[in-house]
Amino acid sequence: MRDQFRQDMYGIQDDVVAIMRELLGLTKSSVNALINGDEAVAQEIIEGDDHFDQMTLNIEENVIQLIATQSPVAKDLRFLLSMAFITLYQARIADYAQIIAKSARRSANKPVPQPLIDLIHAQANLVYRVMDATREALEERDLDLALKLPELDEPVDSLNKQFYRELGRLTDEDEIEAASKMVMSARALERIADYCVDTGERLAYFLTGERDLLEAAEAELDPQKII
Amino acid sequence: MSAHETKYSTVLQTDPLTTSYYVRNLEFWYGDFNALTNISLDVMPSAVTAFIGPSGCGKSTFLRCMNRMNDLIPDTQVGGKMLLKGADIYGSGVDPVDLRRRVGMIFQQPNPFPQSIYDNVAYGPRLQGVKKKRDLDDIVEDSLKRANLWKEVKDILDKNGLAISGGQQQRLCIARVLAVQPEVLLMDEPCSAIDPTSVQKIEDLMAEIKDEVTIIIVTHNMQQAARVSDYTSFFLQEVAGEPAVLVESGKTSDIFTAPIDKRTEDYITGRFG
Repeated sequence: MRDQFRQDMYGIQDDVVAIMRELLGLTKSSVNALINGDEAVAQEIIEGDDHFDQMTLNIEENVIQLIATQSPVAKDLRFLLSMAFITLYQARIADYAQIIAKSARRSANKPVPQPLIDLIHAQANLVYRVMDATREALEERDLDLALKLPELDEPVDSLNKQFYRELGRLTDEDEIEAASKMVMSARALERIADYCVDTGERLAYFLTGERDLLEAAEAELDPQKII
Repeated sequence: MSAHETKYSTVLQTDPLTTSYYVRNLEFWYGDFNALTNISLDVMPSAVTAFIGPSGCGKSTFLRCMNRMNDLIPDTQVGGKMLLKGADIYGSGVDPVDLRRRVGMIFQQPNPFPQSIYDNVAYGPRLQGVKKKRDLDDIVEDSLKRANLWKEVKDILDKNGLAISGGQQQRLCIARVLAVQPEVLLMDEPCSAIDPTSVQKIEDLMAEIKDEVTIIIVTHNMQQAARVSDYTSFFLQEVAGEPAVLVESGKTSDIFTAPIDKRTEDYITGRFG
């Protein structure tokens, strides 16, 4: 029964997974443009701005259609609402990848201190790991993996703090100016990972009907945090 | 007795007086056939409770236990406990006719008497000894208003109750029940044979009167259950010939967002039934 409805829902899931995969590619390209000072690639990314907006809007439109016509309840309802939120996060992730590309365009041809480049590189690699795990959790509807996302995200946050400490050590005026352009990118990477964790949160709600599962997982990582 | 255990997202009450109906381990037989087994359920007052489940799952049978309508079917038997406001409705000395005044019932097919609209509504109060015309007028007007029908029939009260539309007839039946001030209103698929406007009016009136009258509705329309009820109970007969059970019971908002039992999930999302 309701085979078409189920197929439509799987279609939405496939689209969300595909976007997640593309977002990983986009983020990698943006970060590479930043690290290599590649203005042309950065420009290309900036010009492709509408692509993700359009894709996430399409999913949102499909979700609205199914809610309006299929009266979903229970797991189906949780699925559709979760996907609507997740596409919103994906649109934000795309925005942050754009911010990195814009930083790349601005800081191209300017001397950036190597320690900061190394840090961004390291941070980006951690973020890719979070993004890929998020994609896999979505694709496999894997609750355990979704619950691991806060743990994967943690080193991203600590590297972000280290970035600011490195920045504070700089004394050369030119270096400081160039480096400050990278601050935005470090922050953008951190936010991308946060949106992945939020995605895991929505996925966990869809799969279990329970809220705050990830917050509980996060609290275990950091007992000082008040939730 | 079945090994089945009902799942509850609300805690079962310990004091029967906090409930409208307090049902524990209810069994029902048609002859040798054990139709319902081990039903334990609280029906909360001042609320709408919906019974849902596939055809033949025993929800109407259970509903008819609640005002002893099944007494009218030969060779049936009830076991377990069913208390209304703390008193056993199957206890000795309970008058089924009096019980059915306290617990009114609406059926799938509207069944007005072949009399005027006025007399349909005045029928019960007259039996109860209300004689004064003015008192009867007040009861008729008030009941028709509560049944969301007054505006449509106030100028044709002497018209035959069978001469109005099906949806209006159903609301007339509701007015007829409300006229004797029942404590509980049982509705067995009340909207499946009527027009959408009347369905809306009946759903509206349910919300308006539920503070005073506990409402229990059997419906095949899941969206209606989700819309009108505060609590939902899901009945299921998994194997033909085996007794039906209460799979899950709880707040409607819980059942329709995150049911506990997979069978509830499968049924309300349309995977079977």
